Amino acid sequence: MSSNAVFIYSTILALLALVALLAAAGLLVYRLIRGVEAGVLLGEKAIWLAWIVALVATVGSLIYSEIVHFEPCRLCWFQRIAMYPLALVLLVGAIRRDFQVKIYALPLALIGLGISIYHYIIQRFPNLESGACDPDNPCSAILVDIFGFISIPFMAGAGFIVIAVLLGFYVNKNSIEQKASVQ
Amino acid sequence: MSNNKSLIYWILGGVVGLGLIVWLAVAIAGEGAVDETVAFGEVTVEGDALPFFESGAADPAVGLTAPTLTGEDLDGEEITIGPDGTAKIVVMLAHWCPHCQAEVPLIQNWVESGGLPDGVDLYGATVLTNRVRDGDTWPPQEWLAEEGWSSPTIKDDQSQSIVAAYGMTSTPTYMVLGPNNENLGRLAGEIGVDGLNFLAGLAEESLES
Repeated sequence: MSSNAVFIYSTILALLALVALLAAAGLLVYRLIRGVEAGVLLGEKAIWLAWIVALVATVGSLIYSEIVHFEPCRLCWFQRIAMYPLALVLLVGAIRRDFQVKIYALPLALIGLGISIYHYIIQRFPNLESGACDPDNPCSAILVDIFGFISIPFMAGAGFIVIAVLLGFYVNKNSIEQKASVQ
Repeated sequence: MSNNKSLIYWILGGVVGLGLIVWLAVAIAGEGAVDETVAFGEVTVEGDALPFFESGAADPAVGLTAPTLTGEDLDGEEITIGPDGTAKIVVMLAHWCPHCQAEVPLIQNWVESGGLPDGVDLYGATVLTNRVRDGDTWPPQEWLAEEGWSSPTIKDDQSQSIVAAYGMTSTPTYMVLGPNNENLGRLAGEIGVDGLNFLAGLAEESLES
């Protein structure tokens, strides 16, 4: 870290990523236990929470590049391509109460997650990418390393995971309750 | 009523979150400028630059005389890498490069265990220094000191004169120089102990011929 403020900023984002991952794990366990009825737990809040995650990730990455002056590498850009539209698509979906929004948002989140995982692996095992560093901006360089394992792609990946899980919880509460009452 | 209460919590949370982000952004932007110059040195290049060397390709500059470099070492003292009758291995290192970070302790162990033949010197060059890319290993002289680095090392300048002079395109890049500063070959990437022994052999041969 180049400064205390950047370190504090990265640590907050890292903690948010850990909390997001724990929450996603908790929600998945709840879904396994309760089945389809688990959707009642969050209802419409799920999409708003997913939007907040996408917004924080978007603003967070822009602060890194525009204020801290980190140069986004090629894989960082691919993850941005997946995350930035989510901040808009999820907002529109939330305002319109469009339960179909997951059809548009989920592929973005899953593709972004795949890239994040690949980027994280490249950072930890740089020889998988190449045996030498490209002077321009190698994806294997670790610009942020909090707690010894949380880097920027880790945070992005956590964001994609929690968005995907929350989209799974974005179901029409009324239809679930109706189904439950019929049964 | 409960919806209104919930909305207030959401708004409060949003305001606090946004405030925190703005405060941090202002704090980051407002921090005093760091003196970047400590990581760089003044470099003088005498002679023609070598053609660029692409990793994995044959070195097009074998046999050409490398330019003589004069600059500052890690302590700010004058250092020259040029034709002085000794053979040399020069390794160009970027502090933020994970391959360099992996290679430096290996090179140091190799030197300490006597891997370097008599009459052959090892030089380092800190190149492509960039604090933003990795503040933990910046400035490079502190990173190298932490690694116990003992070889004389020249600091590149902000114009990347050494990178241009030695035709470097990736890090780490190794170059073997004969007694007359002729380039005997360049290698890029992590080469390990076998690679170091190979380069040392190449340098030693140049002393015998």
